[in-house]
Amino acid sequence: MLDNISRSLGVEIPKEHFDDIFTQLLNRYPEGEDPWGLNLKKARHTLEWIWPLYKKYFKVRVFGKENVLDEPYMVTSNHSGQIAIDAMLIATAFATEVTPPRILRSMVERFFTGLPWVGTLAAEAGAVLGDRQNCLNLLNRGQSVLVFPEGVRGVAKSSFDFYKLQRFTRGFFRMALTTNTKILPVAVIGAEEIFPWVYQAKGAAKLLGLPALPLSPIYFPLPSPVDIHIGKPYETPDLSPEAPDQEIDIHIDNIRTIIRHLTNEGLKERRPFFANQVRGS
Amino acid sequence: MEKAELKTILIIGMAGGLAKITAGLLVKKYPNIKIIGVDSRPIEESIQNENIEYKRIRYTRGEFEKLFRDKEFDVVYHLGRMSHADTSHLGNLEQRLDLNLMGTRRILDLCLKFSVKKVIILSTYHVYGALSDNPVFINEDHPLRASIKYPELRDVVEMDQIATNWMWKNQGDIETIVLRPATIVGPQIRNTMTRYLVTNYAPVCADFNPMFQFIHEFDMANVLGRSLEELPTGIYNIATDECVSLKSAKKILGCQTIPIPSFIINSTAKLLSTAFWSFPRYILDYIKFSCIIDNGLLKAHLGQDSFRYKTREALLLSKLD
Repeated sequence: MLDNISRSLGVEIPKEHFDDIFTQLLNRYPEGEDPWGLNLKKARHTLEWIWPLYKKYFKVRVFGKENVLDEPYMVTSNHSGQIAIDAMLIATAFATEVTPPRILRSMVERFFTGLPWVGTLAAEAGAVLGDRQNCLNLLNRGQSVLVFPEGVRGVAKSSFDFYKLQRFTRGFFRMALTTNTKILPVAVIGAEEIFPWVYQAKGAAKLLGLPALPLSPIYFPLPSPVDIHIGKPYETPDLSPEAPDQEIDIHIDNIRTIIRHLTNEGLKERRPFFANQVRGS
Repeated sequence: MEKAELKTILIIGMAGGLAKITAGLLVKKYPNIKIIGVDSRPIEESIQNENIEYKRIRYTRGEFEKLFRDKEFDVVYHLGRMSHADTSHLGNLEQRLDLNLMGTRRILDLCLKFSVKKVIILSTYHVYGALSDNPVFINEDHPLRASIKYPELRDVVEMDQIATNWMWKNQGDIETIVLRPATIVGPQIRNTMTRYLVTNYAPVCADFNPMFQFIHEFDMANVLGRSLEELPTGIYNIATDECVSLKSAKKILGCQTIPIPSFIINSTAKLLSTAFWSFPRYILDYIKFSCIIDNGLLKAHLGQDSFRYKTREALLLSKLD
């Protein structure tokens, strides 16, 4: 079935490339599973399903692959697109297009891990509960994690706020300091237009106790071409993880500026799409 | 605690397989000690050794105090927690509360009264609860959330808390160790989880696949034995480094499974529960969500090679048996 879908979309699953990737990953996870629920066999299966979407539907391009070395990172990205399609695409890029390939551990919301099927599917593909202890344990074991310091504020934006970087939380940087892990800045361009016309009804969402309430004429993800720009690693400074906020904020502002710069440069190089809305922060 | 000080050891819960293996290891390691093994259940005296004495006794009764007075125990192993999984009849809950809570309290008070030097209490990792928002590698300071959803687990949590509160309060007078092991497997162990694991065509959740840590019974008995001299007062998680998913564990054991959506399993369990028999529904959460514990503190004291068997090996050995 998967082969038929791939063929009808005009994209072949690169089986040999995937064999090579998963042989390398098997060296890292010799049991094929890990304590967070990763399952290499299932992860490959999921990746093979995502691949046609990644290659043909969202036509993902990755820039700055040479910045990724064989070391763990806290991959820090802007968040966009109403739902976490950006996380899926970044994780696919890091599994298939960077050397050495790696399973990026995306931090997901608490409610997500309790969802039937979806929660398990995500965990088997590498997602983990967005918990401080979890993140520290992963980084201490040399794994790379994917964080979105903007949180829900970033992903759930109205159209007029597209590509405006929201405030970053500090937790991610303190964890990077604790584990002495480099920050790898990433900017995703094009994911905002997957749902291009959105109004976030913040008041109603608050009344209903929902994290967000997007109102849109289209609830089907559009094939907006997506570019992933990977910046140079940001070395963690010689600071205590318990340093005062003002000392931490200098570095968080630096990282935010790097991601803003990557976003603005990326917007200049984006491919045409009928729903493109160029906004800069 | 020094080896020379050891003369008499009391093991509570001697009818259990783990207690017998522990007794066997202890008499081998300390040939001059005397072990008294007690239980309120009938004890099958499978290990015959002149240094092991078996007694069937209710440990909430006066004769239990007499035993303490007469034998002058140096060390007490409390391995007699009544399983919280068996809810097969109405009187069970009352009996469980009496044994696990009042019994534990009484044992601890007797230990203090009769100057026991060390108490080792077997709790369980179930005290942390199987919840969807559990972090991976729960350490000993993590809140005990098992009874949040299921009040029938209250005694399990409370017994652990009685032991730990008592431990800190009396740390100047007596050494106390509380052990919280992950799922123990082996031929002598017949707990709900091991029975479930080895049952062919047992239902598994089609929509969840939690991770597990399994310890072989020999390794657990070995930790119990070593904790006598090598662990200071404190709480210790006992688990292997390696984890395995429930579905993989079933595969390793060669058992066929029937994947069913969790909401159907849940509703069926509710339907089948009657006034006289009830399925322990909290068990369903343990086959839905992971509860992976951190063994760092144990390894800091017992070394990196605290276990002979990894999780997968422990399962394979269970299969052989």
